[in-house]
Amino acid sequence: MRRPISLYGLTFSLPLLIWQVLFFVFPLLFLVALSFWTVKNFALRPGFDTVNWTTIYGRAVFWQAYGTTLALAAAASVLTTVLAFPAAYAIAFKLSDTARRWAVFLMVIPFFTSYLVRVYSWQIFLSDNGIFNAILGWIGLGPFAMLNTPGATMMGYLTLSYPLVVLLQVFSLTFIDRTLIEAAHNLRCGRLRTVFEVIIPSARTGLVIAALFCFILSFGDFVSPVYLGGGKPTTLSILITDTTKSGQQWPRAAVIALSMIGTLMIVAFTAVTFAYRGKTK
Amino acid sequence: MTPDTLVSFEGVVKRFGGFVAVQRLDFEIRKGEFLAIMGSSGCGKTTTLRMLAGLEAPSEGVIRLSGQPVNDLPTWRRDTPMVWQSLALFPFLNVRENVEFALKMRGTPKAERRRRAEQWLERMHIGEFAERNISQLSGGQRQRVALARSLVVEPEILLLDEPLSALDAALKVRMQSVLKNLQRETGITFVYVTHSQSEAFSMADRVVIMSRGKIEQIGTPQDIYRRPGTRFVAEFLGSSNIFQGTLARDAQGGSALETPLGSFATENITGLEAGAQATMTVLDTKTHLAAERPAGERNVLAARMIGEEFVGSVATIYLEAAGGQEIRVQKGHDQLAALPLEIGRELFVHWNPADAHIIAEA
Repeated sequence: MRRPISLYGLTFSLPLLIWQVLFFVFPLLFLVALSFWTVKNFALRPGFDTVNWTTIYGRAVFWQAYGTTLALAAAASVLTTVLAFPAAYAIAFKLSDTARRWAVFLMVIPFFTSYLVRVYSWQIFLSDNGIFNAILGWIGLGPFAMLNTPGATMMGYLTLSYPLVVLLQVFSLTFIDRTLIEAAHNLRCGRLRTVFEVIIPSARTGLVIAALFCFILSFGDFVSPVYLGGGKPTTLSILITDTTKSGQQWPRAAVIALSMIGTLMIVAFTAVTFAYRGKTK
Repeated sequence: MTPDTLVSFEGVVKRFGGFVAVQRLDFEIRKGEFLAIMGSSGCGKTTTLRMLAGLEAPSEGVIRLSGQPVNDLPTWRRDTPMVWQSLALFPFLNVRENVEFALKMRGTPKAERRRRAEQWLERMHIGEFAERNISQLSGGQRQRVALARSLVVEPEILLLDEPLSALDAALKVRMQSVLKNLQRETGITFVYVTHSQSEAFSMADRVVIMSRGKIEQIGTPQDIYRRPGTRFVAEFLGSSNIFQGTLARDAQGGSALETPLGSFATENITGLEAGAQATMTVLDTKTHLAAERPAGERNVLAARMIGEEFVGSVATIYLEAAGGQEIRVQKGHDQLAALPLEIGRELFVHWNPADAHIIAEA
């Protein structure tokens, strides 16, 4: 049954609607239009030409970057989820109330400083004559190339999303009905097995949403692939900046951006469907 | 300890920090009986059940299961399945998977698992819902799933923690007979925790009444109803009129309780000296009413009618005697037809000395 829209409801939802139209729908439509424009003599020319789409989709470098970005973001989601879960589990189930408050507070602290600053400080640790290599040098090892590697990029992704993923996981774990855990124990399910048989299935929605956040943040991230990965391998975000810099190819960059948005929408939709599967009513 | 003892509590104490939830429990649960543990909230009945299930460890004392001490045995190593008040069905599994859960944990082969689950689903009349989600079932159906899930392993003992409290009255009565029949047919020992007198008394072979972490009385429902062991039990059941006084013996060898309301004769005294403080209880169904002071009755009390209550064919008349003591009389309608029942009217309450029960406690 549809209810008529009241003036009251409209007044409160209007700012959100205006915001969405102004800063999401409108730019998105503009991006779509832009992707059909052309560039002549470094100047944008409005029009309707599919040349940008065929050019970008015909280039191996695009598909390579696309595969890399997808793989890195997926790996970051899995890695962050796996690394965050023991921490979230301990915070949710093992700590006292006071300790839990402190742990949650500690997970909020990283947001006090800019992500860029945190990435720069990783450089101090990872560079060839950085802290890690200095320590390894004392015991006669190295130096190892740590900076400008995909591993360093991954470290950046973790820095970006780990605290958020832990917080989201803690949130979903604390909402699990403790009686279900006791019931599983009572039916001969041991401690570790209960984690896989009861806790993870119970918290599925929250765990998937947390991993999705990690994927979204990593997939579009520009800072870590550049400042920690050294631009190697090229991700889609780097490809966008390269494309805009070389010959003012804003329309081609728009094609890449739209491909990223499309990918994120498919991933998000799939993840949400999976997260809420079987939760009818 | 007798051969038919399945569980024994020996000096069991449970403390949570400074709070004593259970103080010195000593009792036994017999093989194949339906035992109800009854008491108001906070009396320690659920803690007792949880200790038996291995979900709480006793602070002192020993719990034996089939003769073996189980204090340090975690719940996943005992066969003490429990039916929870919230049922605690796994919402991410369907009905069949819920029932198969305990078998899966024991490593029972898949075909065998399926066969036994189906057998129990049929037995509980929920076979057609096997592939449904828990959220698609009614309260009564969920109850049956919870029972099947615990009974599928065919344990020696089943623990039930107020499993019917969420059901409506009619369904509750139906589930009571389901439970009683199930217990009789399987011969599995049921330990049933409840705050409801009607549930405990209609299903159990024996009832344990607890208060403030202690056992007040253990006995058959009949026994407890007719002969409450303590003043607390009599008050908790609420089906008796209670008088306090001092015991006296007359020259003919008869006994009476001297109370502020008068002297009431009794016959049921063993091992009590004259001069002892005691409590007399008389069931409200054994208490009679008359319009005029009845001749030849030894226990008569004048009281003013203050209210009446009808449930089905039974009426309860409330009266007030001197000193504000409330008296209840329960009768069928036809037994009351001849009486002038008006609020504020003085009536005469009387009872047979043989129906008076004496508790050695004031």
